[in-house]
Amino acid sequence: MTPLTHRRLSRHVLNRLIDDAPHDSLVLTDDHRRSLTARFRAVTSSDHRRLDAWMVERAGQPYDPFRWSPASARRVVGNAALRRSLHEPALTRFDAVALELSDQLLRATAGYARPGSLASWLARSSPSVVGLVSCEAANWATQLGEAAQGLEHSWSVAASDAYYDVARARTTLRGRRDLIVPKGLSRVLLRVRAGAPGKSAGPGLRADLTIDALAEPTGLAASRVIGLWPEAGVVLSVDGTMDDLRAGARDLVRTAVAQQRYRLARAA
Amino acid sequence: MTSLLDATALSVMDVLRGERETRPIANTTAASGLRAQLEDGIFAILGPTRRDEPLTIRSSSLRVSERVLDLSSSLLAQVRGLLVTQALRLLSVGLEVENPFDEALLAWRADVGSNELTSYVDQLESDEWARLATDVTAHCVTLKRSLGPLPSRWLPRTSLRAHQRLGGGGVVLRDVIDLMVGTTTSDDASVALLDVTTSPLSEGAERVMRYHALVQTLRTSTVPLRTSMFSTATGELWSTDVDDELLSRAVGDVLETLRTMTAAP
Repeated sequence: MTPLTHRRLSRHVLNRLIDDAPHDSLVLTDDHRRSLTARFRAVTSSDHRRLDAWMVERAGQPYDPFRWSPASARRVVGNAALRRSLHEPALTRFDAVALELSDQLLRATAGYARPGSLASWLARSSPSVVGLVSCEAANWATQLGEAAQGLEHSWSVAASDAYYDVARARTTLRGRRDLIVPKGLSRVLLRVRAGAPGKSAGPGLRADLTIDALAEPTGLAASRVIGLWPEAGVVLSVDGTMDDLRAGARDLVRTAVAQQRYRLARAA
Repeated sequence: MTSLLDATALSVMDVLRGERETRPIANTTAASGLRAQLEDGIFAILGPTRRDEPLTIRSSSLRVSERVLDLSSSLLAQVRGLLVTQALRLLSVGLEVENPFDEALLAWRADVGSNELTSYVDQLESDEWARLATDVTAHCVTLKRSLGPLPSRWLPRTSLRAHQRLGGGGVVLRDVIDLMVGTTTSDDASVALLDVTTSPLSEGAERVMRYHALVQTLRTSTVPLRTSMFSTATGELWSTDVDDELLSRAVGDVLETLRTMTAAP
């Protein structure tokens, strides 16, 4: 496994981390996928399991059920706004956020929003709550935009997170990614996180790396995943080596095991 | 530069942005020197032993006061401050805040869910509730009247958190900036920081302004253009340009606070 690279956030550091990313691209084969499926199938679950890097970082500890809030909505709206402002350069990021929120509200009004979705939550919220979502999303879009603006490589905002459904194991894996920087045949992924990185930040990045490779139809892994913690001014990165991919998969399976243990303990 | 506002003078935003022509080139080299100064000072105070729990310094740690605070009124003051901050956030996205108390309360509850402070607000007697509502409304009226227009091209960001670990993780600097405008990616210094307080401005406010500038410099590696503080209690605005001397004094403030914290029994 490659060591976790820890640097102070600056535009030069980000560019260097992208430049120095390994050139060799690894591919996850069908054998790898089958092996992962077998391991997840061995961990029984009565419900459909959803795993992501955050759960890996918390070692599968129980968590409060998800609820929409300005903080949980900021990434979805902020990334969409940044993407929109790239396609329509005349828009400020604030205008882009306002248009994204209008689109969400329009979807709810037109009846296309399913219950529990962001659009239906926004439609039920007061204008002041929608205003606060707008603040949070603008913060996010500006922060991400400032990080991306200094990049000397071409980049794009990820159209969606990476999802991988583990066949016959009732498990869905979700890998977060905010910016994608194409590099040779492969790519470098950037993830923005709130707060400061903890001791489990590395396993979290490795989980994202593995899920992203699994979600790729060809199995081609990203050459590097960079985690940005703008609040702490810190950058961490892991390389897309086979050891890191294996470690990511192992942590995901361990998280499923830990979750199952917590569930059984609660039921007992 | 120190500016004092009365009701009809420049708006807060006018002072914050200043004249475009007079902005200096962005200083992107000072951060590492400041960090080294802090690391040396922390080592001199704490020594080589590692602490189990980090010492956390917040902007409130620098508002040293000899007064003994009444805890119940302090909680009310905290809620008032939080609600005024929420109102600032709503104003920053161009929302017409007609009923500041109700709208800020709704936004705050959506933001934090439920915690000790929301439970405290729920348990307020009707007269305390009315007093809080009147108080928040009065502060918000002052804020709204003084803030001035906030164009979206100035990239206003609100409630920006910062978290800096120093001394091998033994000291943590935490900060929240109520409003930040400008960008760290331009060649000229353009970032202006604003702290909105519901207390009158005092000597401690200067230390807090310096602290914001220091933590922001450490976080982004770019020195901000100016740091400001606005009191919704008095309508006063203090604003000062950030330079090397101010940042050095901020380092001194942090080390002095650390000395006081470690000396306390």
